[in-house]
Amino acid sequence: MLDWILAALVLVGAFFTLVGSVGLYKLPDFYMRLHGPTKATTLGVGAILIASILYFSFTTEAISLHEVLVTLFLFITAPVSAHLMAKAALHAKSKQVSRTQCHADFRQSGDVQDFSLRSK
Amino acid sequence: MSVSGFVFRTLMFALLWWILTEGDINSWLVGAPVVVMAALASAALLPPVSWSLSGIVLFIPFFLLRSLYGGVDVAMRALHPQVPISPGVFEHRWRLPPGLPRVFMADTVSLLPGTLSTGLDDEHLRVHVLDQSGDYISELSVVEEKVARLFGLNLHTDKRGE
Repeated sequence: MLDWILAALVLVGAFFTLVGSVGLYKLPDFYMRLHGPTKATTLGVGAILIASILYFSFTTEAISLHEVLVTLFLFITAPVSAHLMAKAALHAKSKQVSRTQCHADFRQSGDVQDFSLRSK
Repeated sequence: MSVSGFVFRTLMFALLWWILTEGDINSWLVGAPVVVMAALASAALLPPVSWSLSGIVLFIPFFLLRSLYGGVDVAMRALHPQVPISPGVFEHRWRLPPGLPRVFMADTVSLLPGTLSTGLDDEHLRVHVLDQSGDYISELSVVEEKVARLFGLNLHTDKRGE
């Protein structure tokens, strides 16, 4: 039974990790590309880590706390790095596909102004 | 920060070190100064935070389910031959107070379906969305309420300047 759960978790994890990379490849601009690795890959690595927690908790005496920490740090750091990359891309005025629509009134700073002009 | 708060953080960092080194006694030669430095850094960088236990209990299943859906959602879009997206940028006016609650919400939003926070300022959270046909305004409000409960806060319902 445990083997089946572990196999399922590892497969699901591998699938999402792969799909995150496919998203990185297929989506058309920098901001959209960030969505794939941030969400799908984090989820995939999370599933693999859960499999690891279960495996070591059931096959050895102790509960495996390393993976719990790794999972926690993964979920804390992934969105922070994505956020900083998006911010850096805005600052560097990275190209957006032209159909990106802004639903906000951008008023003040210069880089934000450019950003809304570029988005039709 | 109070003395008990500082002691608590020191103990938490010590616990972290203890887990990471699997209780190796010799490692404390490096670990003890690092733990004290980490506690000092955290006291300088992060003011005391109050958490609500019921908020945490409510937040975890919500977050896990939504981030699971977030992964599935971006996976479907990436694998679909036509890559169905209509990207957009939304601004969400903060109801949360400045500091950790806002940063926490910005990070949460990035892991939820179709949204990625790209910037936060004094008044707004800027969010890049994959499909602007979704109802992100109410979605973000729901997330904000969950985060407020997590920190034991009440959102003031009056919207400043509107």
